[in-house]
Amino acid sequence: MIFDSEWLTEHLDGAPDLDTLAARLTDCGCLVELREAGDGAEKWDVEVTTNRPDAMNHRGLAREAAVAADAVMRPLEFALEETGEDAASLASVEVEEGSACSRYVARVIRSVSVGSSPDWMQRRLLNCGVRPINAVVDATNYVLLELGQPLHAFDLDLVRGRRIIVRPAETGEKLMTLDGEERELDPSMLMIADAGGVIALAGIMGGADSEIHEGTTDVLLESAHFDALSVRRTARRLGMRTEASHRFERGCDPEMAAVACDRAAALIAELTGGRVCKDRIDVYPQPWEGQRMEFSVAALSAFAGLEIPTQRALEIFRGLGFAPEGQGDLIAVTVPPFRVDIERVPDLYEEVIRHVGYDAIPSQLPILGTTPGQRNPNWELVDRAREAAVSAGLAEVMTFSFIDPEIDDQVTTGPLCPGAPLPLDNPLAQNQGTMRRSLLPGMLAAAGANLNQGERSLAYFEQGRVFSLGGDGPEEHERLGVVLSAEDGKTEERFARLKGVVEHLIDEVGLPAVRWVRGGAPWLIADAGAVLTDDDGTAIGLAGMLSAELAARWDLRQDVAVAELDLARAAEPAPPRFEPLPRHPAVTADMTVEHSAELSYSELEEAVRELKSEQVSSVDLAARYTGAGLPEGSVRTTLRLVYRHPERSLTQDEVNAAQESLRRRLAERLGITFA
Amino acid sequence: MSTQRLEEVRSSFLADLESAGADAEAVEKVRIRYAGRRSGLLNELTAHLRELPNEKKRDYGRGLNELKKEIEAKLTEANMAVRDTVVNAEPGQIHVKGHPSTVSVGTAESRIDVTLPGTPLARGAEHPVHLVRRRIEEIFLRMGYDVEDGPEVEDDWHNFEALNIPPDHPARDDQDTFYLADGHLLRTHTSPVQARVMERREPPIRIIVPGRVYRRDSDLRHSPMFHQIEGLLVDEGITVAHLKATLETFLHALFSDEVDVRLRPGYFPFTEPSAEVDISCIFCGQKGCGVCSGSGWIEILGSGMVDPRVFEAVGIDSERYTGFAFGLGLDRVAMLVYGIPDLRQLFAGDQRLTRQFA
Repeated sequence: MIFDSEWLTEHLDGAPDLDTLAARLTDCGCLVELREAGDGAEKWDVEVTTNRPDAMNHRGLAREAAVAADAVMRPLEFALEETGEDAASLASVEVEEGSACSRYVARVIRSVSVGSSPDWMQRRLLNCGVRPINAVVDATNYVLLELGQPLHAFDLDLVRGRRIIVRPAETGEKLMTLDGEERELDPSMLMIADAGGVIALAGIMGGADSEIHEGTTDVLLESAHFDALSVRRTARRLGMRTEASHRFERGCDPEMAAVACDRAAALIAELTGGRVCKDRIDVYPQPWEGQRMEFSVAALSAFAGLEIPTQRALEIFRGLGFAPEGQGDLIAVTVPPFRVDIERVPDLYEEVIRHVGYDAIPSQLPILGTTPGQRNPNWELVDRAREAAVSAGLAEVMTFSFIDPEIDDQVTTGPLCPGAPLPLDNPLAQNQGTMRRSLLPGMLAAAGANLNQGERSLAYFEQGRVFSLGGDGPEEHERLGVVLSAEDGKTEERFARLKGVVEHLIDEVGLPAVRWVRGGAPWLIADAGAVLTDDDGTAIGLAGMLSAELAARWDLRQDVAVAELDLARAAEPAPPRFEPLPRHPAVTADMTVEHSAELSYSELEEAVRELKSEQVSSVDLAARYTGAGLPEGSVRTTLRLVYRHPERSLTQDEVNAAQESLRRRLAERLGITFA
Repeated sequence: MSTQRLEEVRSSFLADLESAGADAEAVEKVRIRYAGRRSGLLNELTAHLRELPNEKKRDYGRGLNELKKEIEAKLTEANMAVRDTVVNAEPGQIHVKGHPSTVSVGTAESRIDVTLPGTPLARGAEHPVHLVRRRIEEIFLRMGYDVEDGPEVEDDWHNFEALNIPPDHPARDDQDTFYLADGHLLRTHTSPVQARVMERREPPIRIIVPGRVYRRDSDLRHSPMFHQIEGLLVDEGITVAHLKATLETFLHALFSDEVDVRLRPGYFPFTEPSAEVDISCIFCGQKGCGVCSGSGWIEILGSGMVDPRVFEAVGIDSERYTGFAFGLGLDRVAMLVYGIPDLRQLFAGDQRLTRQFA
């Protein structure tokens, strides 16, 4: 809220200079964020926290300032002259909905002549960001900014039947508010009505039909106390936020309603030449009763970690209007009506601590058992996955957890679909309408953006959660996604690079062994994609070259290899165990096999592993050839076998014999020939 | 002849073997000379044993056995070395056993411009937000805090009500919330994990909770998705002084011992009293700059003593225990530490950004 520095200090005796005052206010919790020159005074933007509506006006902030800066609050003084004519004879107030309106104060001011307000008032209003309108309205706004009580002035002649009725709206009722909007009302909303219908939204805004205008002579001034929740709900429902609703929502002072009404009536009389009728109309069936609270200064000191003298605590509460009484270690206070935030003893502690100042509190580390900190296993898992990806040379990216529902549809038909979609009720944009069920859409959008930035090769990963709706409600799954792309290279090489990365990740993360099964539509090219399945055939990942259709969707003009792994099945990998180093040399022997392309490498390798001599310590792919010199549909595969005996050196003859035997058995098993 | 002869043979064997080096043929010659089955010196020495008087047989026999073992071991070793290594070497050309072709070692085919750049290493890189998270985790792990985790899709109870933010509370305005179709919501802060941990654990509790959070807001300084880290300590006799010291210790470890830490009264529904925490501007030394908007202070975290209502909501005895909580934006710290101007850049998936942190 913006304050006028002159208006603020006007309420104080013995205020320090403005610099000191601003610093002291900041120290006690009213952060003076910005100070700038205004008309005749400084304009201060003070951040008053939402629980302190009592300080959202000049007098309220001055009360804080007085305690913070050792100044004294001046009493609020103004002169109010009343005529002999009784206000109650000119208007009546009925409150039907007492729970939402605990007090309704009204005054009648007659024979006003509505002109503009004087310069001094306009200057202050403008400094605080309020546009002057006319003397009557300006006076109500002035008192709002000064005392925090929202007020409303009706043209009494336009109040039908001269009756004010506080009641819920009836279904179908409408009201044209002061801002020129027609509002549709419903029975959950509290209204000010007259004999003919609604004339104002209680605590939010008046109606256009009863507004003060140049010809207004008699004014009915409303100063009421509306229930915070009722105003808040109505304001939200209508999408409105006014100075009045802002304060009522946070809680106003029921006692202030009368004072503010008098103050505004006096101002209106002074500014417009009007005459204030005798007495307030005041519907206040259950007057405020102050809550008494008691606390121990020793307990407060123990809580703060600082010895606080009883005298100091008493001073603070006196200054804040709590009428404290001290008896030994105990202090009893009465919570003033403007302090809606004080409900329990810790709330009182806060009052003392913030005025004593955090600076005064010593620093003392707590003493607890010397137990080591533990990381939640999920953090261990995702960090293991992230570290594995970094060690594979990938850069980490983050993309939004919500994506375009249209793109999310791809997930439904693909492998790794975690469950039903989980849409947002109130997304910021249509293309952020649903929670992602796969990391790939966000990562591919990023691929497009990276390529557009002129990046020629992509190598990045994302680790994050995907979301879905399962049988028992929303579910979250940790995933790891990879995007690789290079300007040139054969598809096989691109795929092999991706597979190398994915195999490394599976290993490091501790995922179960997987089978690479051709598939992965609609994400992947049918001929260059795989679904990674575990022993039970459950998909735990997919990897391959992005399909042309999806590449086109994100306008990717070069081949992109993608992979996504579900981390749910990961277990912490066992620590490595040392194996005695071989003492005898190994013999390497290659074996070249010519076979149909229908026979997959993994089938060939599995057969070799099954049929090989026990002295073979490793089987690896050495070369793969297809093309000239080979029949259509044939492949030539060279495997490299390493033979090693634990106790002695093998001779070339022994190895030759083992190779020969393996060839024979492979030929029987797979019907293949040897080059 | 006596054990003296054994020593002579040992010395000459070792000398011969050394001069044979890794030359397979030479090693083989040494083997034949000493351990050859027909004419090896060891045969001769063994034959000598029979000619000795009985009283000398024992010492000589023991010495002979040792020598045999040593010679066999050394020969095996030499053979191992020979088998897979250099067979024949001359300057620049080395013939290696098992490799038919000649490998060039120690020569260059052409003169190299040593100022040419090296082959770039494909280094991976972590996202700056995670770098900051790990740094903060480390600090608190060393102080004995556990690192906790919780769901990003939350219910109203844990995100709001248990934290003393009932329905229609004005504080809900400050945390514009994304709602999901089934009444769940995306957590607006990491604090619901506090509530979850307190529901299942007894004090003393000492945790930090990093994580992803969501608010319905987007501009230069706000992203609908961002990251926080939250801390909570609950035990008997925890005081405001403990909170203050803990935050100072943490901020000194994170930034530098030189930064000043300032606590200002603030307001959060789940702490009472609450404090906003500022550090002295690390960029201008409090002279005033763009980062601190001229104030000399940077707002860095929010904190306070746990409101007893929160303890009561999660079933912790608020008469017996007190505690403190604090929270800060990881993205904000990353932006501050690394000088990243736009929050939204962190979530654009731009690999060029991350590569800077390799």
